[in-house]
Amino acid sequence: MPDAVDTSGLDIQLSEQLRALRDHLVEAFPLLEVLGFRGELTLLVTQGDLVELVRFCRDDSDVSCEYLMDLSAVHWPGGEFSDQTHETTGWPTATSQREGRIEVDYLLYSVTHNHRFRIRVDTPDDAPSLPSVSHLYTCANFMERETYDFFGVSFVGHPNLQRIHMPDGWEGHPQRKDYPLGGVEVQYKGATIPPPDERKY
Amino acid sequence: MSSSMRTPATAGAAWGDEGEVEVAGGTALEPRHEFTVAAGEWQNLPDAVDDDLMVINMGPQHPSTHGVLRMVLTLDGEQVVDNSPVIGYLHTGIEKNLEFRPWVHGVTFVTRMDYLSPLANELGYCLAVEKLLGITDEVPERASAIRVALNELQRIASHMVWLATSGLELGSTTAMIFGFRERETIIDILEYVTGLRMNHAYIRPGGLSQDVPDDFADRTRKVVAELRNKVDEFEILLSRNPIWLERNTGVGILTAEQCYDLGITGPMLRAAGVAHDLRKAQPHSGYEQYDFDVPIAQSADAYGRYLVRIAEMRESLKIVTQVLDTLPSGPVMVADAKIAWPAQLALGPDGLGNAKSYVSKIMGQSMEALIHHFKLVTEGFVVPPGQVYVPVESPRGELGYHVTSDGTNKPYRVHVRDPSFIAIGSLPVLTHGLLIADVIAAVASVDPVMGGVDR
Amino acid sequence: MGLEERLPGGILLTNVERFVGWSRAGSLWPATFGLACCAIEMMTTGAANYDLARFGMEVFRGSPRQADLMIVAGRVSQKMAPIVRNLYDQMADPKWVIAMGVCASSGGMFNNYAIVQGVDHIVPVDMYVPGCPPRPEMLMDGILKLHEQIRNAQLRERPRKGESMQDFRHRTGWTDGEVAVAHAERGAPVPEGYDELPLAGRR
Repeated sequence: MPDAVDTSGLDIQLSEQLRALRDHLVEAFPLLEVLGFRGELTLLVTQGDLVELVRFCRDDSDVSCEYLMDLSAVHWPGGEFSDQTHETTGWPTATSQREGRIEVDYLLYSVTHNHRFRIRVDTPDDAPSLPSVSHLYTCANFMERETYDFFGVSFVGHPNLQRIHMPDGWEGHPQRKDYPLGGVEVQYKGATIPPPDERKY
Repeated sequence: MSSSMRTPATAGAAWGDEGEVEVAGGTALEPRHEFTVAAGEWQNLPDAVDDDLMVINMGPQHPSTHGVLRMVLTLDGEQVVDNSPVIGYLHTGIEKNLEFRPWVHGVTFVTRMDYLSPLANELGYCLAVEKLLGITDEVPERASAIRVALNELQRIASHMVWLATSGLELGSTTAMIFGFRERETIIDILEYVTGLRMNHAYIRPGGLSQDVPDDFADRTRKVVAELRNKVDEFEILLSRNPIWLERNTGVGILTAEQCYDLGITGPMLRAAGVAHDLRKAQPHSGYEQYDFDVPIAQSADAYGRYLVRIAEMRESLKIVTQVLDTLPSGPVMVADAKIAWPAQLALGPDGLGNAKSYVSKIMGQSMEALIHHFKLVTEGFVVPPGQVYVPVESPRGELGYHVTSDGTNKPYRVHVRDPSFIAIGSLPVLTHGLLIADVIAAVASVDPVMGGVDR
Repeated sequence: MGLEERLPGGILLTNVERFVGWSRAGSLWPATFGLACCAIEMMTTGAANYDLARFGMEVFRGSPRQADLMIVAGRVSQKMAPIVRNLYDQMADPKWVIAMGVCASSGGMFNNYAIVQGVDHIVPVDMYVPGCPPRPEMLMDGILKLHEQIRNAQLRERPRKGESMQDFRHRTGWTDGEVAVAHAERGAPVPEGYDELPLAGRR
C-alpha cells in the first residue's frame, strides 16, 4: 500500500504566499521536511522540535498563527504492505515492512496573513507519546484528550488527560486500526448480514 | 425580640437586627438543639457560607442544556467558580464508521453530525473529497450555485432553531413557536428539493444527487420574501425586550484574544469584533461572486451574538436572492463518468426511481454506462492517496474536514473539526463567575449542537 | 399497572377500565428526552405547525417524575444508556416508552461499538416509530396508536379465548387461585380444592 502522502513532487503547487512561508520556516528550523499536496503545505517535524515550532508559529510576526484549528491523528499500523501491485491480477509485486506509527497533525491558521498549514509529527504506535501544546493553545486541551481517547497517545504535560468521549472505564482506543468496528449481525427474514467491518465487499 | 421557631429554615429576623433569633429543631424523639444566635454572628457558625463550595451536576438530561451536555459546576453560593463540561453522551463513532463504507456513503453519515445544519456538513465533506480527487474546478457551476443557496437557507434555518431554543431556555415560548414556524417554511423548500426534511444526503462528491425542480426559484423567492418579514418580527419581539436585554447583556464575554486562544470562530468571534468569515477569507463554491457583508458586534457578550446572528440571517437572504438571480444552467454532476453519481432519478408509477430513459440507456444502448453504473453503485469510485483539510463556514463556525485517503474506495481516516466541540472546551472560561441562570444564557449563546460535539 | 392490587377479586371492571383508559390517554405528558436529530423533529411536533397541544401533550416535563411518557428521540450511546435507565426508573407508574426513530428502535445506521442497538435493550418499549428522522406526522401517528393502546388496556389480565388455565398461568405467572378467579369471571367453574377465592391481580 503506498504511503499516504504524495512525496513525489508532482503536486507541489503551493501558492506564492505559502512558498514564502515555507522558506521562512525552513530558515528557522532547518530540520524540517516539507511536503505539498493539492496546494496545502505540510511540515514534518520530530517530537523534540514540536513545541518549539508551534510556539514559533504562534509568536513570530510573519507566521503569526492565532489559531490551532485542529489536532488529529491517523493510525498507520505496522506490518508488510505492498508497494506495487500487478495491474490486472492485483498480486503484490513489491512489498516492504513498515513500523507501526501514529501520525498526529496540527493544523494552524493565521487570521492576519490568512494562511494555513499543517505540522505533522510521528510517534510509534505501541507506546505513543508526545509533548502537549495545551499551554500554548488552550483549545488543545480538549483536542489532545480526544486523541488520547481514540488513539492512546499520551500528551506529556497535559493538565487533565482523561477520556472525553468514551465512558470512563472503557478499554481500548476505538479509532485505532486494530480495534474492531464492533457492530452486530443484522437479521432479516431468512438471512443475516454481518456488520460492516466483516463484509466481504 | 426573640421568637422560637419550629424549623431552622424559618429563622428570619431582620438582618442587622440587634435582637436574637432562636433556631430550634428536632422531633418528639430527639432532644431539641437550641442555638441562640445574635445578628451579625452568622459567620461564626460552623457552616459559614463563605467556606463552602458546592459541586452541582447539570445534565445530561436537562431541559435547558441544548442537548446531552453535562456540566459539573463548582459553585460559591450561586456563582460559578469552575465549570467542567463532560461530553460523549452522544458519541456515535461516525468517524470510524466512515472508514468501512465507500466514499459516497460517507455523506449520509456525516450529515447526521451537526443535525441542525446537515447540508453544511455534507458540503464540507464533499469539498474535501473533491479536493482529494482533484476535481474542484470541474464541479459544474450550477451545482456550486445550488450548494451555496441551500447552504445559506440551512444557515437561516439553523439560526431560527437557535433563536427558538435559546428563547425557550430563557423563558420565551413565543420565540420557540416563531422559530419553528419559520424553520418549517425553509424545511418545506429543502424537502421539495432533496426529498427529506432533515439529514438530506443531497450534496454528493462531484455535485448534487439530482437537479432542483423547475419551480425551485419561484418557491424560494416567495419564502425569502416571507422570511424577511419574519426576521423583522423576531427583532421586534426580542431586540429591545427588557427581559432579553437584561439576561443577555454582559453575559458570557469572550474577547477576541480569548477566542483565538480557545479556537473559537463563527458568530462568537464576530461578536467580539473580528470580521473573519471563511466565506470571505477562503471562499469556496463560488462565494466570491456574491455580494454580502460580514456583520460584527463589539460587545462580545450573548446579546452581541444575538445581533450578529440576526444580521447573518439577513445577509443569507441577500445571498440566496443573488444566487436565484444568477443561477446558471447546465449539469449538476461532474462530467467524469468514473466519479459522477450515475442515477438519473424521475418520478414513476411506483415512486422515485431511475428514469426510464436512463434505464433503457444502460440496459440497451451503452455497455460502458452500464459498467460505470454497476461499479459506482457497488464499489464506488477510487480516490488517489493523500491528505487534505477543507474548512467551510457552518452556522457555528469553522467546520473542517481532515480527510486521509490511501488510494482505495473507502476513506482511510476522516477527522471532523467541529466548531461546537471547540466551543464546549471554552465553557470554563466563558462561564467563570456567572450565576447559574447566566450559565444557561451563556451556553445558549454559544449554540452548541451535541451531535457535532460528540460525533 | 398499580391499580389492580387494590381491587377485590370478582368485580367486573369493564366500565372502570374504559374510564381509566380514557383518562390516562387524555393528557399523556412526555418527558424531555431528546438526544439527537429526532429531538428536533420532536420539538417541531410540539411547535405550531404540527401541534401536540391538541392532545394535551405540549407540556414536556423537565422532571421525569412528573411525566408519563418517555419519547426516546435519538441515538443512545453506551455512555448515555445507564442514564436512560435511571430516568425511566424515576418515572412513576403508569409509564410508557416510545422509541422514536430507527436509532432508538434498533441502532439505526450506526451498527458499531458506540451505540446501543435499540433502546429496548434498556427499557421496555411500547411503540416503535421508524424513520430517520420520522416526520412529525409519523410521530403523531405513533402517539395516537399508543393512545389507542392505552385506552384499550385491560387493568387485569384475562384468559384469552380458548386459553387453558395452564397456559394462562404460564403467561401471567399467577398462582392457581388467582387463575381460578380469572376463569371464574369468564364463566368457567371453580376447580375443586379452592373453597376461598383469593385476591386476583397482577403482582
